[in-house]
Amino acid sequence: MRRRDDMHDGPELELQLAELDADDALAEGIESVWGDSRADFLAKAAVGSGALLAALAAPAAPALAKDKGKAKGKRQDRSILNYALLLEYLQADFYTEAERLKTLKNESARQARVVGAHERAHVKALKGVLGGDAIKRPSFNFHGVTERPQAFRRTAVALEDLSVAAYAGQGPRIQSRPYLVAALGILSVEARHASWIRRLAGKTPAASAFDEPRPKPEVIRLVQATHFVSTPRKRARTSSKRSPRYTG
Amino acid sequence: MAGDGGITRKTFVRGGALGAGALAAGGALAGGLPDLAASAPSASQDEATFAYLLELEDLQAAFYAEAVKRGALTGETKEYARIVGQHEQEHVAYVRKVLGAQAKPAKDFDFGDTTTSDERFLATAVEIEETGLGAYTGAAINLTRGKLAAATRIVSVEARHTAWARDLADKNPAPVASDKPATEREVRATVAKTSFVKDG
Repeated sequence: MRRRDDMHDGPELELQLAELDADDALAEGIESVWGDSRADFLAKAAVGSGALLAALAAPAAPALAKDKGKAKGKRQDRSILNYALLLEYLQADFYTEAERLKTLKNESARQARVVGAHERAHVKALKGVLGGDAIKRPSFNFHGVTERPQAFRRTAVALEDLSVAAYAGQGPRIQSRPYLVAALGILSVEARHASWIRRLAGKTPAASAFDEPRPKPEVIRLVQATHFVSTPRKRARTSSKRSPRYTG
Repeated sequence: MAGDGGITRKTFVRGGALGAGALAAGGALAGGLPDLAASAPSASQDEATFAYLLELEDLQAAFYAEAVKRGALTGETKEYARIVGQHEQEHVAYVRKVLGAQAKPAKDFDFGDTTTSDERFLATAVEIEETGLGAYTGAAINLTRGKLAAATRIVSVEARHTAWARDLADKNPAPVASDKPATEREVRATVAKTSFVKDG
């Protein structure tokens, strides 16, 4: 039987590092890979993934006096869609890697397959709309989370809930109505994903009557805290392998 | 329980492919705006939109209240009805507050035998949640910015309900990559077909 003891958890903050970093997997992974303390890692991350994330989090450049209205709205929309694209890249890679590693079985494997296909479709659609303005796919390092079913599910819960909160926060700011309709259609699917994975993880699928939106800087900080966004150079040395996990 | 094998592989593959296809074809993001937009957002349009959404929230809240009261549901389905029913009541309270004196009283409903077994209840729950979700995603763009932000917080909760009900009914919780908004006309036609709303 499903565990029922946490069916009543409130709209708690799901994506905290402690929650994501099940069994200190990230911390261990980081230390084993670089032999660094977490503080050192954070300092290094600030140059690589940090720069990308900070750029996304920064408010759009102030508009020139004569350049208001439509142009500004378009720029803001592009910035929001790129922010959505980052989160979709992250989720798509997360599911794709778990599939590739054949980590999951049964219903959990089906969830990853179906949801992974959706996230990849979101990436494709957003890139299509953004064209040359689309941010490049960052490299990701999931530090072994995609290798362990329970850690995978807990992290998937955090990522899906975060993505709902991010779309809820920025979606209503989209000026273009076609993009707004599309963003709501995607938000709705992300919420279905969140519900599905929460149930698989033994949590109540809908914990509260109103989902809490999160502001962009907060979402970026939470993503940064996962250390999942890596730099291309580091990726080459640290991409997830089933075995050996820690090469010291 | 999220049983293994309740949903066939075929269903999932088809669902995933359809969703990806629909988005890739550019329908969702790059395509034209479906017939959803009324006129430019305004306070009076907010009122009309919320009055319409209130009818759906009233229906959902009444459905779950009856199911809980009847007491025929079991296990997680019973838990679903209790939790989701509570949410719908909160949505009703919120929308009534927004509408203030303009809010119309809830209609009378007749849900027939739909709350008499887990199976019947879930089939109906899936239908009314999908309908409510489509209504919200379709109507939200007609709202002014502040109200849109509030409605967005409900959209995702309705989507969570929908996926949960589908999962309990052994259906793929998320069959497509982008949910399709519904027009008011479509939603009203669906509701009329159920005969849940009593005349007068």
